[in-house]
This record gives sequence, structure tokens and C-alpha cells, in this order.
Amino acid sequence: MFTCKDSIHSLLEYVDGELSEAQAAELREHLRACPPCVDFLQSYKATPKLARRALVDEMPRELAGKLKAFLRTKLPSK
Amino acid sequence: MSDRRVPLTTDGGAGTVHTPAMSDAALEDRALLDRAQDGDMEAFEALVERHEDRLYGLALRMTRSEADAAEVVQDTFLAAYQNLKNFRGEAAFGSWVHRIAANNALMRLRHQRVVDAVTEELRAPEFTERGSLAEVPEVDWSRSADEKVLDEELGRAIRQGTDALPEGYREVFLLKDVEGLSYEEISEMMGISVPAVKSRLHRARLALREEIDAFYKEV
Ligand SMILES: [Zn+2]
Repeated sequence: MFTCKDSIHSLLEYVDGELSEAQAAELREHLRACPPCVDFLQSYKATPKLARRALVDEMPRELAGKLKAFLRTKLPSK
Repeated sequence: MSDRRVPLTTDGGAGTVHTPAMSDAALEDRALLDRAQDGDMEAFEALVERHEDRLYGLALRMTRSEADAAEVVQDTFLAAYQNLKNFRGEAAFGSWVHRIAANNALMRLRHQRVVDAVTEELRAPEFTERGSLAEVPEVDWSRSADEKVLDEELGRAIRQGTDALPEGYREVFLLKDVEGLSYEEISEMMGISVPAVKSRLHRARLALREEIDAFYKEV
């Protein structure tokens, strides 16, 4: 029997569109009958999106200044 | 102009961040790069300023150390400068320096890596004996990914969750889901097979998904 465990196990390939037609059909059939897995899939897809937004860091200005000064010692001035 | 179709950006959640067609930003980079290749150092400095934040962000999340991240960024731009003449520009300047930085960060990590045997630490969904999800999600937070402003606290939780991913998993997640590299590129960079890349990515996403879910349960 195709379980939630099987469903979650196949999510990466499902999202990538890499499941075989038979596997995808099996998963879709499970999803139709299993709202928790549908929610899980939504949140699985949302995770990288949220991470991309959360992981934007600015370089501290002090470091940026140091970087510029360092590069100036290495680059020929023209 | 021909009417050749411009490839659409596929961003189905786990998609890449880079657009296949050259964006305005990439075109401006190209113009600056041309000038820098002709020896215009102001143009090179402008490129540095345009990319330092994102490079630093990548380096910081990879190395988890501000000092290491600063060095990675410094070494990356120096390497970029030294190889400026060799850069042909099939790729965007941004992807080029990001790959240099990612390799640089990976090399640093290799020295301190304790691989595997750590997967037990990864959070994962729980199942009943019959293989059903043990917990039905209480909150549907998937839409928050499309909200204009990302909640400050959530952002912090995600950064902590990412930092807490075990070595090897964190890098794969950052390179694929944040940087948009291909499985093949990551496999080559990290010296692991494509199936291993995919399996680590899946585990990392599940773990981070649990962190975010836990965050929403506490709110
Ligand atoms: Zn299910």
C-alpha cells in the first residue's frame, strides 16, 4: 500500500518532475485522498522559498570598507 | 529580432533563483565587466559593491563564521580580478563569482568536516506504524512564502535552522535551493554522487520544514 511515508519520500522527485508516469499517478492518487500530505507538499515547496528570503545577509559596512581597502592594495591604480 | 521563445523562469517552489535570460542587472554587470577587462578599476569596484552582500551571505551561511566569510569574499574577488582576462562571459558575472565563493567555502569546510553519522540529528516528519503522517499540520504557513514582508522572527528561526543542518547537508541545501546550482554542479563540487546530493537535499528540506513548522506552532 502506498502510504504517507512513501508519498513524502518521493516529494523531491515529484517537485522536480522526475517521477515515472506510474509513480506520479500513484502519488497523485494518494494526495487526492490525503489532505495532510497535500498540506505537507505545499509546505515542502514553500521551505526553499522562505529560506531564500531569510538568508539574505548584508555584509557589515565595516567589512565592506576593509574589503575595498584590501583590493586597492592588490589592484593596480589607474 | 527573431521570435524565438524566451525560456520562462520556472519557480515552482524548489526551483532556481537565476533567470535563464539575462536580466537588466546582468546586462549592467556585463557593461562593467567589459570596462574592468579594459583595466578600469572603478568598474571592478562597482562590480564588487554590487555582489559583495550576496556573496557574503552565501559565505556566512556556508562557513557559519563571520571571519571566514569575510576571507572567502576577499579571496573570491581577488581570484575574480586575477582571472578577469580569462572570463569569457558565457555565464553571468554573478554566477561566476558565486561558484568561486562556493568552492572556496567548501575547501575551508573540508578541513573541519566530520561526515555522516550525523543524520540522526536531522529533524524529520514522524509516521505511525502504518506509515501515515503522525501529526496533521495545524497551520498552513505555505502562503507566508509569498507575503511581502518576511516576519523578522521567522527569518531568525530559518537562519538558525539552516546553521543547525549537519555539515554536508547544509552546503547542498544552500547551493541548490538558495544559489540555484544544478545537481551535477554540486555533485562535482562536493565530490559526491547526484543521488547523494538529492538525498541530502531532501533530508535538509524536511528538517528545515520541521523547524518552520515548529516556529508556527509556537506562535
Ligand atoms: Zn498521506
